[in-house]
Amino acid sequence: RNFYFINIMHIICKYSLVEHLKYTTCANLIQLCTLLYQKNDSTFKNRTAAMDLSQKVRVLCWVMTQPQHLKSRTQHIRATWGRRCNIVLYMSSEASDFPTVGLNVSEGRNQLYWKTIRAFQHIHMHHLDDADWFLKADDDTFVVLENLRYGLSKHNTEEPLYFGRRFKPFVAQGYMSGGAGYILSKEALRRFVKGFADGLCSHNTNIEDIGLGKCMETMKVQLGDSRDVLGRQTFHPYPPHYYLPRQLPRPRPWYLLYEHYHPVEGPGCCSDLAISFHYIDAVQMHTLEYYTYHLHPYGYKYRFNPDERSDNRNNN
Amino acid sequence: MSLSVSKLNSNILIAENRRAAPEFSQKVRVLCWVMTQPKHLKSRTQHIRATWGKRCNIVLYMSSEVSDFPTVGLNVSEGRSQLYWKTIRAFQHIHTHHLDDADWFLKADDDTFVVLENLRYGLSKHNAEEPQYFGRRFTPFIAQGYMSGGAGYVLSKEALRRFVKGFADGLCTHNTETEDVGLGKCMETMKVQMGDSRDVLGRQTFHPYPPDYYLPRQTPRPRPWYLIYEHYQPVEGPGCCSDLAISFHYIDAVQMHTLEYYTYHLRPYGYKYRFNPNVKIQVRQEKRWLIQTLGVIHLKRKELLYV
Repeated sequence: RNFYFINIMHIICKYSLVEHLKYTTCANLIQLCTLLYQKNDSTFKNRTAAMDLSQKVRVLCWVMTQPQHLKSRTQHIRATWGRRCNIVLYMSSEASDFPTVGLNVSEGRNQLYWKTIRAFQHIHMHHLDDADWFLKADDDTFVVLENLRYGLSKHNTEEPLYFGRRFKPFVAQGYMSGGAGYILSKEALRRFVKGFADGLCSHNTNIEDIGLGKCMETMKVQLGDSRDVLGRQTFHPYPPHYYLPRQLPRPRPWYLLYEHYHPVEGPGCCSDLAISFHYIDAVQMHTLEYYTYHLHPYGYKYRFNPDERSDNRNNN
Repeated sequence: MSLSVSKLNSNILIAENRRAAPEFSQKVRVLCWVMTQPKHLKSRTQHIRATWGKRCNIVLYMSSEVSDFPTVGLNVSEGRSQLYWKTIRAFQHIHTHHLDDADWFLKADDDTFVVLENLRYGLSKHNAEEPQYFGRRFTPFIAQGYMSGGAGYVLSKEALRRFVKGFADGLCTHNTETEDVGLGKCMETMKVQMGDSRDVLGRQTFHPYPPDYYLPRQTPRPRPWYLIYEHYQPVEGPGCCSDLAISFHYIDAVQMHTLEYYTYHLRPYGYKYRFNPNVKIQVRQEKRWLIQTLGVIHLKRKELLYV
């Protein structure tokens, strides 16, 4: 079957008059088919090894987006990390064939918390049993699902927990940065929805991450520690180049002042098994995809092995 | 803080890794020389020293002045017009002092990021005693083409001997200021062949620009110069760049460190990389197609093995 497909693809590509088609779709499809030729067992072993966690730790991702962003931003999520979620929902004010889920809200920065509330209510109503954990991401967040599943695998989704990049201000127990993405356990989702049903939580702010953080505190949902065994952060509210370079002493920017844990700049800022980066534009979605899932040094054994270091937690 | 404990563990881990990973680093010895200048040591070159420079078997930072950086002082002045003189003097210096210390000789700019493991892997299939050189092949100016300077290029030991001999015998001269074109002309004169550095799927490994110039699919537009110069069919979008990429150019200081992070640190837990260059592909059919990017060669009734 693959061989015939290759023949057809070759004919289409050879005789295609559209240069763009040649250099893009054809290269991809031919490369894909070539990879399919590699009929050695390890290909199937690859799928089994990676699938383990994806069936044990089911993640439903919902992406906060809007009709004007579908083409400029959201399609790049769909093309890269979106497909790695067990379920992915693109939440917008309007339903569409993208496909997006239409929430009963308008667009705009002041509607973000309404969107969040309606999104979680929708998920609670339609998908509560389809997943174990529920991730919220922006349409300019890049997420590495494998690392998220690995991080969550040690936790129990029936406990009221939520994970993300922990910030100090505004809420007594703190809250998780919205842009970096945050993830609710099943119990946390139930409590969030119940909080609104019972009137214990209300729409008391436009700032969705603070609002959700306040409701979590009210409903006694705990903030988890998402750092790796060396104390390095996994969720990031900015792209890597904001944290990785060592900086000369200067007035601390807001995103470091808000940090709950001691902020680290330079190497040590960011885990090898990072989970998310924010403010990622369309081009960088694809380059991050390339860097994470493709570019690697041949024969290199990664130095960081989290499974060997569970006793050496760095308590900052 | 458990800093001392984790340091101890990390030393143990590094020792294990060194036993595990040095397949190629002793078999395929690479001497890297970085074209730099005194003004760039702090803004650019120190970041190479902190990242990929240490992965070369030997790394030499070539400048107009010797210093404690350490840099090698070549007998040249600075400036764009001096680049080919620098290249000539650098290779002569290496030939005089280091010919037996390495098998392959890489030239890189001080804004080039190189993945040494992938370079060694690519070179492992070739013989350093043959006159060949590898890099990103461009077509213009030279009949057989030349390798882009910014993307970096690698000379075999025999190619280095011939380059130096060419100047000693007067067959090669300083006939241009554009160092990559000049070196390419000398290579042609001295009958050094241009190697093909693409991977088994035909994807490029040396890149004269950062990844974001090639990875996104582009809407149709007038082709930029760096695609017009290409010897092989240029590919944009996925398929442009090998998983085992060797170099990227125009990398500033911050991006040196982020590329180091992306290449040697960030990875998905439990993920097995899909691309395996060592896999044998056996295709049995009446018509067989060898696929290299979009070039398709028709082979009739043959077993096709990629090793």
